[in-house]
Amino acid sequence: MGRLLSCLTRKHKRFLAVAALFAMGGMLILPIFLSLPALAGGGAPAAGGPPPDVVAAQEAAKGEEEGEKIEMGRDVYYKTEGPAIGMPAPKTEDNELHYPRYNFESRVLIWVANQQHLYYGSFVLAVPIFCMCIEFAGMMTKDKAMAKKYDQLAYDFIKISLTAYSLTAILGGILIFTFLTLYPSFFQYLSSIFRPVMHIYALLFVAESGTLYIYYYGWDKMKEGLLKWLHLSMSVILNVIGTVLMFLANSWIGFMMSPAGVDEQGRYLGNIWHVIHTALWNPLNVHRILGNMAFGGGVVAAYAAYRFLSAKTDEERAHYDWMGYIAMSLGVAFLIPLPFAGYWLMREVYAYRQQMGITLMGGLLAWLFIIQATMIGILFLTTNYYLWQALGRMTGGERFQRYIKYLVFILVVGLLVFITPHTIVMTPAELKAMGGQQHPVIGNYGVMSAKNGGINAIIMTTILSYIWYQRGNRIPTVKWAKFGNIFMGCFFTVAQLNNIWLACYGYYIPANVRIGLSVPQVAGTLSCLFFMSPLNLAMLKGGKVLGPIQWGRIPPRSQYALIMLATAFTWMMGLMGYIRSSVRLFWHVNEIMRDNSPWAYTHTIGFAANVISFNVLFFWISILFVFWLGTLGTKKVPVPAVEPVPGAPAPQPAVSR
Amino acid sequence: MVELIWEAIGMGWPVFVLLIGLLFYFQTSIPDPDRKKNAMFKTMIGMLCAFLLFIAIANYKENFSGETRLLPVSLVMITVATYIMGIYFTNIGALMKIGGFMFFVAAALSGYGNWLPQVEGGFPPPEVKLDFASMTAQQLADEGEKIIFGGLGQSKVQGAIGKGQCPLCHGFQQGFLSERAPNLYGIPDRAEQRLKEPNYHMNEPDKRPTVQKEAYPGSGTATNAIEYIAESHACPSCYVVPGFGVKGTNDTESPMPKIHKPPISLTLGELAAVDTWMFVREGKEAPPYETIVAAYEKFIPEAERPKEATGGEEEAAAGGVLATGDEPVNEIFMKAGCVACHTIPGIEGATGKVGPMLVEGSNAPKRLKDPDYKGQAQSVKEYITESILQPSAYVVKGFPDNQMPKDFGKKLSAGAVQKIVNYLSQLKEGQPPPAVE
Repeated sequence: MGRLLSCLTRKHKRFLAVAALFAMGGMLILPIFLSLPALAGGGAPAAGGPPPDVVAAQEAAKGEEEGEKIEMGRDVYYKTEGPAIGMPAPKTEDNELHYPRYNFESRVLIWVANQQHLYYGSFVLAVPIFCMCIEFAGMMTKDKAMAKKYDQLAYDFIKISLTAYSLTAILGGILIFTFLTLYPSFFQYLSSIFRPVMHIYALLFVAESGTLYIYYYGWDKMKEGLLKWLHLSMSVILNVIGTVLMFLANSWIGFMMSPAGVDEQGRYLGNIWHVIHTALWNPLNVHRILGNMAFGGGVVAAYAAYRFLSAKTDEERAHYDWMGYIAMSLGVAFLIPLPFAGYWLMREVYAYRQQMGITLMGGLLAWLFIIQATMIGILFLTTNYYLWQALGRMTGGERFQRYIKYLVFILVVGLLVFITPHTIVMTPAELKAMGGQQHPVIGNYGVMSAKNGGINAIIMTTILSYIWYQRGNRIPTVKWAKFGNIFMGCFFTVAQLNNIWLACYGYYIPANVRIGLSVPQVAGTLSCLFFMSPLNLAMLKGGKVLGPIQWGRIPPRSQYALIMLATAFTWMMGLMGYIRSSVRLFWHVNEIMRDNSPWAYTHTIGFAANVISFNVLFFWISILFVFWLGTLGTKKVPVPAVEPVPGAPAPQPAVSR
Repeated sequence: MVELIWEAIGMGWPVFVLLIGLLFYFQTSIPDPDRKKNAMFKTMIGMLCAFLLFIAIANYKENFSGETRLLPVSLVMITVATYIMGIYFTNIGALMKIGGFMFFVAAALSGYGNWLPQVEGGFPPPEVKLDFASMTAQQLADEGEKIIFGGLGQSKVQGAIGKGQCPLCHGFQQGFLSERAPNLYGIPDRAEQRLKEPNYHMNEPDKRPTVQKEAYPGSGTATNAIEYIAESHACPSCYVVPGFGVKGTNDTESPMPKIHKPPISLTLGELAAVDTWMFVREGKEAPPYETIVAAYEKFIPEAERPKEATGGEEEAAAGGVLATGDEPVNEIFMKAGCVACHTIPGIEGATGKVGPMLVEGSNAPKRLKDPDYKGQAQSVKEYITESILQPSAYVVKGFPDNQMPKDFGKKLSAGAVQKIVNYLSQLKEGQPPPAVE
């Protein structure tokens, strides 16, 4: 055998390696293909045949002809007919049989177990996506030093994620045990509906683990030529599997919020696709992908900050400064489209059940959105603060410092406008004290167009900060530089004035017309993002470099801004998850299975905030432990931070691409 | 505070003992005075931080389910402790400072959450059986207010919301801005006008531009005000008030859910109560209960009608009910024991003198006009029903209060009360009694 191998040329070896990897990949995903017929429900044909519910209906009709009477049911969402082959949703009672318990609130226990699993799950799904992007960037970069730096960064990322991966699996196990022991009736019902999906989920998890281990441990072996491309394509497979995993998990919560594929009694009607593809599934998928990415960026940025603060050498400091910057930029790049995905999700919630939307935005849970608004403001303020600090690592960056106070003013005013509520949920005593439904002063403010004005002003300022950051150590030298600067200044001014004018105009027109103002406001902001950022890059091309970027020369407080971002992301994720889950009020499965436990009420905001804080801190204590573990392992020496040769492109975050 | 300190010591004593042990160990084992001083100092710092941490944990434990506003205090204490440790334990300094900062951020956010007004969503409404059929208009209206706003008198409280969830979208006060769905003030009068709207197409459902033409095939359209209200509840998309349709549908589809379907699932009795409140609160005479229920029956087929809660019926089956209503009225009078105290013309053996003679066809109109009458009934039948269910609402002059039992509402079925009311309302002085049915 050894002789045979020695006879093979290098080319043959590569070919064999590729073939072996494909075979391995094929074996990993083979169980999924084999189980596809089961997915279709009750052994219906996998592809090409009639839809599963039609097949099931035909079988029901056949059964009926043969003398077995199968009851038909009507889908609560799709309104299609199907044989009621599942069990009806159990009618639970407040007793030990349906709700076994410790001497503690079961809901809080399941909340904590769920949230921890979700934090880790999000992190290990987001990080491989970063790795893929960074590894790809490294392969595309012609500068060898930079390529090596990118490669090292991607490796650092996946190393963190690997330790977190096993914790994710452990937490998943804890979550299932918590469900089985505290909510057995509910979990039995849910697993009866999602039986095939749950098995496929488990198989995909195996496939994900296998791919991840090969990807990580094969890093050094597959570092050149075709093997490197193969390595990259493995990260694509890894991310596809991870994303499908998340989509499947999302189908469970989608079903709980907006059930489909069952009749009014909750009986499964034979079409698994209807059960998965509920009204809110797709908006949840998109929102969660973006959210995970922003969160993942935050966690990696915090890791970099930790390593920066504990670094002993300048090289280390430079490497982790750069890593923090890239991670922060990626996180913020995904934070910016997140509100639009959130808007889509909320629109679908309103379309599904208007009263559910109003409970969220104008009813019981409305105050939580005030917290969310505050947090969005904090995230943008912190991002700006980091960018201003980061100007310090560039020669020439100081020329922008004197203007920062004006940006602070705009940001603060924008934030105050953004978080001003219009109507407030009040007690009778408060109502009497205030003398009306709206506050005598602030009640006149806080309409939607003004709030939009506030947040758009904040985002535009952030874009401007970023443009200044890009110009930190460079001066445009293109012929049309003066014209470009004037054009850019005018563009920002007009966009901001348009934004403010519309924010004020909104007070003079009816509410239903006012809603339409958000379109031109957002259009102005997006124009700044998509036109001004590329214009700035075009102007800087071949520009005069005032000095190198001195990675690592940044005050330690900037690293606390990264930690602030990471903590705020985590907290906001916990908050929004709580809102999404509690909007079902006293339903396990909305309108199908009622929650009759002693905890079928909605907690106060304060209690929720405390549990969210507990979850956030629990996660961070455990992940700091993971970080610390990471430092114990074999250390790959970071590549010294080498400033690219003048003229070569400096590393740019995804936001500008 | 003292209790808190004791609790902290109770929880953390092994750690304190360990640190004191370390203190002695360093004192005896380190020969170099500078190193000894340094180790002693760090141990003292460690003790201080441990003390702070355990006080914070004790406070957290104490207040987790109680005074939650104090919980951020714990987090701030932990922050301080970790920062102090971060300063003096340089080998883990970065970790402690980062941890402390995260605690601080979490504490600030928790504090913010606790500082905002605290609103707790109540438990889901209990499924109790109410006998709507035997209620007076005012009683029905009161139940209606509870269903809409969650309690009596809550209709004036902003944000109050009940099982029906109506105020989520509808305004109810005159002049109140109602952007999501029409303001329902004045609906008793406006309902008639809606029937004449060009898009309503009374009796011509096929001509309707809406996505749903009829509540169910063959149900037809509303022909009067109460039917219009019933149709709006049972089939919101049959007619959409201009400007209130789902965005983009050009008012052909309503965003409102069918109120008799989950999640709201109001029974016909509850819907009648809601409608009655809308009339009564504007000082208008509400249609009789039977009329309202008949209007709903027109638009909601039997199979789709939510079942009344069964809890009360089970209780009744257990032996609580004196008469079910299937008996002839004279038997009901006997079973309920009315004959022992009252004289009732036409009922054999009903010659009691403890209470007044029940010729209510003549008595009730006079008593309703009596300035001392403080009840809520407005008609003869309502007065009789009220007298059975709430005997103290009006006490006939010359007779003592609190003589008549007050639990007939629980002991007589709705049908039995209805039969009694029908019979007594026909009894008039000087006229022969009606036939016993």
